[in-house]
Amino acid sequence: MAGKLNEDKFDEMLGQSLRRHSEPVPADFTEKMLREVREVQERQILARVVLQERLSLAGCIVFGILAAVGVTVFPGRIAGVLRSIATGLTERGGAVVDGIGQTISMETIRSEWQMYTILALVLGFAAYCVLDMLVGDRLRTA
Amino acid sequence: MVEKIWQKQQKKRKWLRLLRSGDHEAFAEFIEKYKESVFLCCRRLGLRENEAEDVASETFLAVYKGIGRYSGRAELSTWLWTIAYRQGINYLRKNRKQWQLEAELDEHISDSKEQGPAAVVQGREREKIVWEAVERLPRLWAMAVILHYREEKSIVDIAKIMQIKENTVKTYLFRGRDKLKQILATAFTEDIDNGR
Repeated sequence: MAGKLNEDKFDEMLGQSLRRHSEPVPADFTEKMLREVREVQERQILARVVLQERLSLAGCIVFGILAAVGVTVFPGRIAGVLRSIATGLTERGGAVVDGIGQTISMETIRSEWQMYTILALVLGFAAYCVLDMLVGDRLRTA
Repeated sequence: MVEKIWQKQQKKRKWLRLLRSGDHEAFAEFIEKYKESVFLCCRRLGLRENEAEDVASETFLAVYKGIGRYSGRAELSTWLWTIAYRQGINYLRKNRKQWQLEAELDEHISDSKEQGPAAVVQGREREKIVWEAVERLPRLWAMAVILHYREEKSIVDIAKIMQIKENTVKTYLFRGRDKLKQILATAFTEDIDNGR
């Protein structure tokens, strides 16, 4: 019993003594760390901007190439689609949305899916860029 | 009482949210709260002053970058200790030769005839003597003892932090404690027996 008591007291004394120990830390460590963190943050932002720029550039190049290939390989189809969009927009004036809806039927989309896929990708990327510009930071920190 | 605990938890959650969002003030608070533990970990692994500072910086940067991955299952301090310990061990692996590393980690107290604590106990604080005794333990034993008795970590947590088996932790603790008792016996026999 006495042995057990001493064991417990030893543990208690050990715990107390170790908890009281304070390890020396350089005085300006926190400030130094915060400076490093800011630098990391700036590098991250810069990396993100560079990535977006590269994506935009790649998108422009790919879109340009695809457009050129499309015009060469399917000149009739592309001319038809562009003409129908232009006609829809000019003839129906203010009712642009309705006009597009009427001009571009599901059948047209199905038959011209390559064209609309590219259009959807371009619009999607543009929407992403606009959203990122407006609420990106808020979303990332939420 | 329950309300107080609830408020404390809410406050902790809010602080964690701020930490995850990259809030500098919350991160400064985090560093202030845990820097001593991180330096303690580094120095117990045998890193020199400048090395300990480098590894501590790396640890906090890793925390800053990885706080989003912290699931909240383990205690924040356990998670931080795990990172600090890994960073320290990785630093040693990179900068020390294998034989040197093994020798350093297993470095054993010598049963030298140097002045024991008993001889200098008078006029010195108990904490200092205990700490010096812990510093004389092999590093891994000392680490386990500090994690258990100072940081109040469970065997399971220590095993996770040190990436070893629970039985090995138990062995380190048993041996470390035993050795500490031997070292401190003469100094504290009277105190412990008298319950002081």
